[in-house]
Amino acid sequence: MRTFEQKWTAWLDGQLSGSELTEFEASLPDKAAAEAEKANAKKLGALLKREIGAHGLANEEFFSHQLRERIARESARPSRERDGGVSTWWTIRRLLWTGTASLAVFLAFAIFVMHDKNPAEQSQYLTQILNARVDPVVSPNATISMFEAKEDRVTVLWTEGLQSLPADYAAK
Amino acid sequence: MQTEATPAQADVSELDLVKRCQAGDTEAFDELVTRYRTRIFGMIYNMVHSEQDAWDLAQDSFVKAWKSIKRFRGHSSFYTWIYRIVMNVTIDWLRKKQVKGECGEFDDAIQLKEIDPASKTVPKADALPYETMKRSEIRARIENAIAQLSPEHRAVILMKEIEEMQYHEIAETLRCSIGTVMSRLFYARKKLQNLLKDVYENI
Repeated sequence: MRTFEQKWTAWLDGQLSGSELTEFEASLPDKAAAEAEKANAKKLGALLKREIGAHGLANEEFFSHQLRERIARESARPSRERDGGVSTWWTIRRLLWTGTASLAVFLAFAIFVMHDKNPAEQSQYLTQILNARVDPVVSPNATISMFEAKEDRVTVLWTEGLQSLPADYAAK
Repeated sequence: MQTEATPAQADVSELDLVKRCQAGDTEAFDELVTRYRTRIFGMIYNMVHSEQDAWDLAQDSFVKAWKSIKRFRGHSSFYTWIYRIVMNVTIDWLRKKQVKGECGEFDDAIQLKEIDPASKTVPKADALPYETMKRSEIRARIENAIAQLSPEHRAVILMKEIEEMQYHEIAETLRCSIGTVMSRLFYARKKLQNLLKDVYENI
């Protein structure tokens, strides 16, 4: 189903024929005005063709030369990019290796430092106290403060309001 | 559609050239460029109204064609295929220019009026300066009128009136329906008739 605009265009360009042409021309309210419009459209087409139809390309050979150069450059680029891709891949692999090695060194260092900072003999007593539980029913107002001097390897626990010692500790 | 092929060039079929291009033969592509460069440049120029921009866009179009020539399956003629690339490149460029709000068309038209007759074409020996000036003015009027059309309407009217392409060829080039081509032609012609009525009626 064509719109009026499409039929009009086809009519102007002589693309309507048979019953379609008859029907369209019969549907025109003013055939003379339509014919005048058609003539104007033809004049417009002729004007465009005459005035802007033949716009030459100056320096044709230079155009082709420049294009050849550009295509040669564009064609060379993928191989360079391929080379670049390999070096990028190496860089990524190097980065991965460096990252992994750094992580391993860090973990080893961290384990060493932690191991060094937590000697078993230092924390034995403290661990016993901390692991013990203060029963909140028996000692509801109990407060415990801890003072630690790392240089001297001394820890002091200050307890107040303790109604009874924790059973674990008392047993020791 | 006409090409600028010489009889010697015509001996080598377009399809052979395309096949050679697909095998990486740049000389074959050069041959195709030689056949179509003027028409393609002219078409782009009529769309953008700037020698320099038309030159660059024509170069871009041919480079794009070279890069994608392996995808050309021969369902249409090479000319229709490359025209599609040209139109995509040019319409995209015009749209970007519109988005940026650049209004170079009018300046280009003035530049053309002042420089082009002497530098681009060789005036005929019997052409009077007055006639040359008058024609330049007419051309500037036409270019200004075309510049007022949307990129799609410009493409359709130029392909129909200048390239004398059929509706189906235009539709194939612009990847739209024949009905859309006809509708665009209707509006493009109406607008140009309004803008150029005094020009074509007084010649």
